[in-house]
Amino acid sequence: MKHLTAVLVATVFVLATISARAELVIEITQGMDNPTAIAVVPFAWQGNGTAPEDVAQVIDNDLARSGQFDPVGRGDMLARPSTQQEVFYRDWRAINTEYVLIGRASVTGQVQMRIEYELFDVNRQARVLSGYEEGHVNDARMLAHRVADEVYETLTGIPGAFATRLLYVSVTRNPGGKDFYRLTLSDSDGARPIVLLESREPIMAPSWSPDGKHIAYVSFETSRPAIYRQELATGARVQLTNFRGLNGAPAWSPDGNSMAMVLSKDGNPDIYLMDLRTRELTQLTRHYAIDTEPTWMPDGRSILFTSDRGGRPQIYRYDLRSGATERLTYEGSYNARARVAQDGRNLVMVHQAGGQFHIALQDLVTNRLQILTSTDLDESPSIAPNGSMVLYGTKSGDRGILAAVSVDGGVKFRLPAREGDVREPAWSPYMNR
Amino acid sequence: MLLFGKAFTRTLLANGLALAVGPFCVLVQAQDYIDVEAERAAADGRPASAASSQAAQPAQAYPVTSYGIGTAARPEQSASTAPATTVAPAPVAASGNNAGQLVLQVQQLQQEVMRLNGIVEEQAHELRTLKSQSLERYLDIDRRLSLLAGGSVDEASPLATEGATAPGSALAPAASSAPAAQPGAAQPGESAAYQAAYGLVREQKFDQAVSAFQQFLRDYPAGRFTPNAHYWLGELYLVTTPPDVEAARQSFMLLLDLYPADSKVPDALFKLGKIQYTKGNRDRAREFLDRVINEYGSSNSAAVKLAQDFINDNY
Repeated sequence: MKHLTAVLVATVFVLATISARAELVIEITQGMDNPTAIAVVPFAWQGNGTAPEDVAQVIDNDLARSGQFDPVGRGDMLARPSTQQEVFYRDWRAINTEYVLIGRASVTGQVQMRIEYELFDVNRQARVLSGYEEGHVNDARMLAHRVADEVYETLTGIPGAFATRLLYVSVTRNPGGKDFYRLTLSDSDGARPIVLLESREPIMAPSWSPDGKHIAYVSFETSRPAIYRQELATGARVQLTNFRGLNGAPAWSPDGNSMAMVLSKDGNPDIYLMDLRTRELTQLTRHYAIDTEPTWMPDGRSILFTSDRGGRPQIYRYDLRSGATERLTYEGSYNARARVAQDGRNLVMVHQAGGQFHIALQDLVTNRLQILTSTDLDESPSIAPNGSMVLYGTKSGDRGILAAVSVDGGVKFRLPAREGDVREPAWSPYMNR
Repeated sequence: MLLFGKAFTRTLLANGLALAVGPFCVLVQAQDYIDVEAERAAADGRPASAASSQAAQPAQAYPVTSYGIGTAARPEQSASTAPATTVAPAPVAASGNNAGQLVLQVQQLQQEVMRLNGIVEEQAHELRTLKSQSLERYLDIDRRLSLLAGGSVDEASPLATEGATAPGSALAPAASSAPAAQPGAAQPGESAAYQAAYGLVREQKFDQAVSAFQQFLRDYPAGRFTPNAHYWLGELYLVTTPPDVEAARQSFMLLLDLYPADSKVPDALFKLGKIQYTKGNRDRAREFLDRVINEYGSSNSAAVKLAQDFINDNY
């Protein structure tokens, strides 16, 4: 009887979770003081039936998530124009809106979708942006993200990073049995999760190729860690390493031709470089301390890594031409897991302060350190390709969740999964269209 | 073992089970760190139990992505546990004992070298920082000196640059609301004495410069360059060996009290802020720095920027 009850309970949860698997839900926790008021008017649908996606809502959510915009609620809109002729600025001035985005979506051909959009500046009474996006109907959300990117860049001067994707590892605990690991790919807003790999053995350290077409990760599926490379379009994958000991932390070089990684095949963990065309290995660091977590400087000339050669984990830079190693972090007794923004200046890492683990940002020019997060046990920071936000793993209660913070610490949001633990996010580079 | 694609049923069943027994999940959280002991053991070829557990329990030998949380206290931990594990085989045989001792010694040496390495790195960093700070300070003084040395004192002195139009005019500081003492006209010989004291500063003969300025103040207690002399004495007390911070503070305070409208006041305020900061009085320091910004923010005094930078760096 007891057994039967357990099965029933399990079934109930199965039903409840079918639609929601590892999907992430976004909760904005902190925005900017004076966000720009923008109205994203529902886009007119010029096709049969209902629109496959509420494009305007996706754009609205993207802009709100950046923390820099305060989208107007649809209920507050006095009009819902979809063409320039229908835009009357007084309608928008009346509700203190600074910008209005309108648009039209239609289906062209069998499965092609076209989204046209126009952005108006209410104060200047002028159209400041217009354009269109075309693509497969199934990619309607991605088309919407691209519109959001254009709007964001027009209004902030910084390229948007909404039309990008995330990789993350989720773990479903299975007491008494083996845990269940999933490597998931989703849109930058957590929508459309696709499970790329499922395993009863740990999956770790997902990372992106610079063109966003391949990924690499560590999987224990052969019961010991090995680095795999996988093509996203086809799912085809190759096992790159299978050495004795650790095989970990793959990091693609900015030119895509080589990969830095951690191997302990010769005794203890050191940083190695693999030429991806010839599979030739070069050992970069040689130290009895632990060298790990390599990451590239955007210029491809040096690699940052974590080492405890100074007694405590700190970030070091290895110059690929001279072979010189230089310590970069001095503040605090624990700095690890570095990632550098595309500008080559903002270094984010896990930093221990007051017994807690936070994400901190060090300006590599002034060497000034800023702690960005107030959560504890923060791990695995990953920077958006436009350098604006840092995604990281943290704990909420007992569960691992993803959270994001802007590089100035001003904007924060969380992406808790509906179930399981989520960790090790990796933000994709810009996707080539 | 590997489930490509959508093994829905199994996946969801697993989900359901995991959720149903959620509270227990915490106990079995896999950790995201390198098992340093195991690694060290493997590296040393030590047949310790840690090495074998690496294969059996991947969760312990987990790779790599992170130093992970929880290993922060690692050095102490390994320092304290290492002897226990290596000393254990001691009673087995004499040769084993020696080997064990050697391994232990090598490990201890490695730990020690790592610790020393860290100290060297940090001290080298401190030195670089100090060097650049002292260079900055020297350049700061040098810049002020060359300002004064650039031409005749009348034209180049900060006093002259502020409000005076002609060398002979009353060199009252621009803001004249303060009813405090005003430097008088230059007395005969004053300019020469002042220049002489200055020369010593330029030659970096700081100790002699101190005496010269002290003598200057005795000779010309209300001269035209008296505020400047107070200011430079303050500066000089900070660079003599050993620095006399209290004397410096008093010199700057004297300038503030006697000549509150002097053009050197913002610089003196900034220096007072720095002095208080070095004394550990952060709040007091901040008051001075804020005064520089609030009261002289609209002037083109270099002290405003210095104060702002200092606040940015330290607050």
